[in-house]
Amino acid sequence: MPSSRFPIPQGTLDMLILQILSLEPAHGYGIAGRLEQISRSVVRVNEGSLYPALHRLQQKGWLRAEWKQSETGREAKFYSLTPAGRRQLAVEKDSWARLSDAVNLIFEEGSR
Amino acid sequence: MIRLFNWFRRGSLERGLDRELQYHFHRRVADLIAAGIPEPEGRRRVAAELSLTQVREEVRDVWLTRWFRDFIYDLRFSARSFLHSPGFTAATLLSLALGIGATTAIYSLVDQVILHALPIHEPARLVLVDWNGDQVGGGFGSWNLMSYPFCRDLQHQTRFFDGVLCRAEIDVNLATGGNPKPVAAEIVSGSYFSVLGIGPALGRVIEESDDAAPGAGPVVVLSNDFWRAEFGGAADIIGRKLLINQHPMTIVGVAAAAFHGVDVGAVPAFWIPASMYAEAIPGAEDLLHRPTFWMQVLARLRPDLTPAQAQAGLQPWFKAWLQDNMVRPGFPIISADRRRDYLASTLEITSAPQGHSPLRRSLSQPLWLLFAATGVLLGLACLNVAGLFLARGSARGREIGTRLALGASRGRIGRQLLADSLLLAVAGGVLGAAVAPLAIRGLIAFLPHELAANALRGTLSLRLLTFAFFASVAAGLLSGVTPALHAGGDSMVSSLRERAGTGFGGVRLRKCIVTLQVAFSLILVIAAALFVRTLAGLLAKGPGFETSGMLSFAIAPVQSGYTRADAARLVRRVHEEVRALPTTRNSAAARWAFLTGGSWNNAMTIQTGRRIVTGNVNLNAVTPGFFSTLGIRILAGRDFDAHDSRPPGEAGHRSAIVNEAFVKRHLAGRDPLGIPIGVGSGPNVKPDIVIVGVCASFNYRGLRDDSEQVLFPMFEGEDAGATFYIKVRGAPEQAIPSIRRIVRQAAPRLPILWFRTLNDQVKRSLTTERLLAALSGSFGALALLLSLIGLYGVMSFVVTRRTREIGIRLALGATGASVIRLVLGDAVIMIAVGTAIALPCVAALGKFVQSQLFGVTATDPATIAAAALVLAAGALVAAFIPAWRASNVSPTEALRLE
Repeated sequence: MPSSRFPIPQGTLDMLILQILSLEPAHGYGIAGRLEQISRSVVRVNEGSLYPALHRLQQKGWLRAEWKQSETGREAKFYSLTPAGRRQLAVEKDSWARLSDAVNLIFEEGSR
Repeated sequence: MIRLFNWFRRGSLERGLDRELQYHFHRRVADLIAAGIPEPEGRRRVAAELSLTQVREEVRDVWLTRWFRDFIYDLRFSARSFLHSPGFTAATLLSLALGIGATTAIYSLVDQVILHALPIHEPARLVLVDWNGDQVGGGFGSWNLMSYPFCRDLQHQTRFFDGVLCRAEIDVNLATGGNPKPVAAEIVSGSYFSVLGIGPALGRVIEESDDAAPGAGPVVVLSNDFWRAEFGGAADIIGRKLLINQHPMTIVGVAAAAFHGVDVGAVPAFWIPASMYAEAIPGAEDLLHRPTFWMQVLARLRPDLTPAQAQAGLQPWFKAWLQDNMVRPGFPIISADRRRDYLASTLEITSAPQGHSPLRRSLSQPLWLLFAATGVLLGLACLNVAGLFLARGSARGREIGTRLALGASRGRIGRQLLADSLLLAVAGGVLGAAVAPLAIRGLIAFLPHELAANALRGTLSLRLLTFAFFASVAAGLLSGVTPALHAGGDSMVSSLRERAGTGFGGVRLRKCIVTLQVAFSLILVIAAALFVRTLAGLLAKGPGFETSGMLSFAIAPVQSGYTRADAARLVRRVHEEVRALPTTRNSAAARWAFLTGGSWNNAMTIQTGRRIVTGNVNLNAVTPGFFSTLGIRILAGRDFDAHDSRPPGEAGHRSAIVNEAFVKRHLAGRDPLGIPIGVGSGPNVKPDIVIVGVCASFNYRGLRDDSEQVLFPMFEGEDAGATFYIKVRGAPEQAIPSIRRIVRQAAPRLPILWFRTLNDQVKRSLTTERLLAALSGSFGALALLLSLIGLYGVMSFVVTRRTREIGIRLALGATGASVIRLVLGDAVIMIAVGTAIALPCVAALGKFVQSQLFGVTATDPATIAAAALVLAAGALVAAFIPAWRASNVSPTEALRLE
């Protein structure tokens, strides 16, 4: 059996980051921890793709960043959703739902 | 865009990322310690899972797209490598800067003279209205002439036009304070400023009410430049009076800055309403009502119309207008044939966003030719740079091979080389743009002084910089693309296997480039030879009269308020006093100046057995002694004498001298002496002027002119002014002060229009020819130099590469001469193929230059042969140096080289 933790599929990481940040602002380390925690350690985020993704989303205007005191007392870079990011999240959720429905349909059809 | 911005703040971005990743690192370590892992072990583990360098690289790719970052690194790498090879860099930079600078300079003139739209409201809608056919009436001025009544009538055609204006350029005599002086002005209809959409910078512009009736508007509007130059930009200028041709006129405004009239070549100091024609143009008949042709008509087309539509739509109106015009007072009586021609006339409407300009007419073809020549020159410079790049590419073969072996893609290497050439070209462009203003000023210096001073600017504009930039980028791509493709195509293994110092080939490509260069430069050298021969031919031929030691000056007393009778007396007095000067060897006067481009002309009626009416003949009036003073031979009959002049007050000519060309054309086989002729072509012309002499043909308008001429005696009481021709003892300049004194004593307020030696006058009349000869000559020389350098470069390279082979040949007993022949053979093939490419091009391009030539055809075999010979000789010398070096190779050393 392969490892129980697998990397996030290409393209879905952006959506997941937006979703995490829609709950509350967080720094990079926090986002990675939250993703693992919520997915019950199934999902494992590689820092090599997390930080580029954060900067890409920020450049697209979906995230905004500010330096704030973190829970340990050190300054950390906190990301939060912009209104444009919120709209984008809705769009991605919607298309994800339709895609997964379609995939499920195909699986059910095939196994019948 | 945001990415470009990121490049400039990449320092702060990097610091932010560092802090962010540091935080991540510490938190992870802290969590591991909390989970019971000792700190050093934790740090090691985190460092392993978090590869900082890679994360950084990937985030950087987000900031700046990969290709953009690569491109910037490429540029940096290029800049560094250029600094390491200053000789190569200087050679390529110089080639490109020369090419781009020359092209930009010529383009500046092309833009200013030909392309630049007037700085007016919606220039695209401006059209020129011109007459196509026989105008019948008389007139004065240069091109596209129309009558004032026509302009007035056309203004009612509001279906086609939003407004119609007419204008003419004139010279007036301006007196401000003490010294009177001639200045250029524009006389315009009341609609002029409103049609162009030009407002005042101060006061008001000329309005319809100024042009309502003759004498209605004794006002002037100053040009902004003249206001600043002459009055220091005085704010209280409005209301001041100017004395124009001795008539007071009020300054009512200053035109908007940057507006210099509608003619690029004639910049007016001020504008005068057409209603003031009598004051502005002394001696003119009623110009507002008679069908005299003296103004250009421009109109603003309605927005929804094209010039062709307006032209078609106007013809019915024009047909009716032609009929009406025939009953206008002053319309000449004409024959039935002429009437048919007249009534068949049509209107021509052409788009004229650049206004009306005789200068454009005379200069546009030479300028386009020169522009094409600089284009070829720039192409040559690019080829040279491409050749140098290929040479460097082969020297860098090992470096490139190594990079390929380490995994660089061929596209990546090619892009690096392209970055090289782009960087170089843009640097060359900056250098070229920096020298361009100097070059432009040098170019303008070739043009007549009045024009240079007013109309053309030697400064860089945004348009010019844009042009230079695009020229540079094009040059960069052109010179870089061949080496870049070439670098992508060579085998990696072979280049790595080769030893340093030999490098890989590209020789065939370089030979092609040199062959093309030879072809290009041969075309330019042939063009240069043709233009130089034209100039030399014209100079050697001369104007047909004596020019050395000759001085001329002109006065125009009627313009300064003299009556015609007073003017004639003044001219006679000045003439006699100048003749009595000790510095004067001989002196004569003529009514109109020679070699200025213009002439007084009219048709002539000759009464032999029947009446013959000629086409336009150039006319002038000269004093007795004119022919001997200027050294023009009298071939038959006699010179004028005192008896040919009529007493003052009596009009009309009594006798005439015609030139040889006139006799050949109209009186072939007859004895011309005693034949009566008359001025004009109508049935009411009385041929009562008797031909008393025939003179040798000489040039009137310019050096190419071989027109028929009829000369009348001067001092008949009709002279508004005169140009004096003086054969001086000693240097012509020394006679000037005493002549000035004579004029000042005879007429204290009369300006002398110019003082010129005839040699200078000849030089001035050859402006275009000198421009073409000098520029094409220098372009030809530059082109030759560039291609010889290219040839030398490739031959040296070939010799270096074949050193071993040559060494073996020599060791086996070949002679030095045979080695030279071997190497030269290569060069001869390149020269021969280049020439073979160039000759058909010359034949094809010949028709574009033919009209600029004199005494030589564009495909003149002797000229082409001479140019080809010069090129071949230069090329053989350039190839001989490496060949000779090859023949001196010592076989032992050549073999040891390996």
